Amino acid sequence: MEQDNINRADRILKSLDGLQKAGAPDFFYTRLSGKMQQLEPEPRRSFLLRPVFVTAVLSVVLVLNVILLTQMNDQSGSKATVQPTSPATIESFAKAYDMNTESLYE
Amino acid sequence: MTENELILRLREGEEPAFKELVTQYQDRIFNTALGLLQHHTDAEDIAQEVFIQVYRSIHQFKGDSLLSTWIYRITVTKSLDFLRGKKRKKRLGFMRALFGDDNQPAFEPPDFNHPGVQHEKKEDAALLLQLVNQLPENQRTAFILNKIEELNYREIADILKTTESAVDSLLQRAKQNLRKKLTGKKNDPG
Repeated sequence: MEQDNINRADRILKSLDGLQKAGAPDFFYTRLSGKMQQLEPEPRRSFLLRPVFVTAVLSVVLVLNVILLTQMNDQSGSKATVQPTSPATIESFAKAYDMNTESLYE
Repeated sequence: MTENELILRLREGEEPAFKELVTQYQDRIFNTALGLLQHHTDAEDIAQEVFIQVYRSIHQFKGDSLLSTWIYRITVTKSLDFLRGKKRKKRLGFMRALFGDDNQPAFEPPDFNHPGVQHEKKEDAALLLQLVNQLPENQRTAFILNKIEELNYREIADILKTTESAVDSLLQRAKQNLRKKLTGKKNDPG
């Protein structure tokens, strides 16, 4: 009984021996060409969305911001230091608007 | 035309070169896919997808292996991915098991008859292929490449990126597991 089982298993395991390979169906290339024409071209990412381009643009914007901020600070800094130490400017301003202390109590 | 010439012309996008590639490989790719998928229409679909993939990614082929090895590797990967997708669909419940997402029947016919099997062995071969489907993926792939596509250990090892001794071990375990299934004994894992 067990020997029968073993013989059967051997027979089944050998059933693929001498197998002839299957060939592709007729008109395979024609159908393949048709499928390839139907398929949309692979989606290409826009140049503008490429990480290298995006990083470069962001870096330029960042650098411009930094330069602009530095220049603004320099300008406001120079004004802040010049104005209070320039009595001539204050006097001329007071004269221009007739704000002398004398004139106020006249 | 040599293999290198063919690759160069494929990279140039020459259609005659692509046609030559398909003519050279279509039977091998279809036969391999048919062995793994055991379904004619699915095998043809996968074979078409393989050639589309080759056409699109020939620029990525570095020449580290033979072109045939690379194409076989794509075939095995695509076929196994397809089977995994099919299994996933089956798990989604009774309705989806009867009708797939696109209203195509998702069940598999119980018996697959390989067209190259000798007439008197058809019944035995159908049973054997049914049992091969129950083997772990790596054993099943090695078995199909060896028995259906008649590749030698070296070629299978290159495709599976392993060693010849590992392929030998996979095939031994596959045969042991099949024998145990046939004689009704408990199987060895992996």
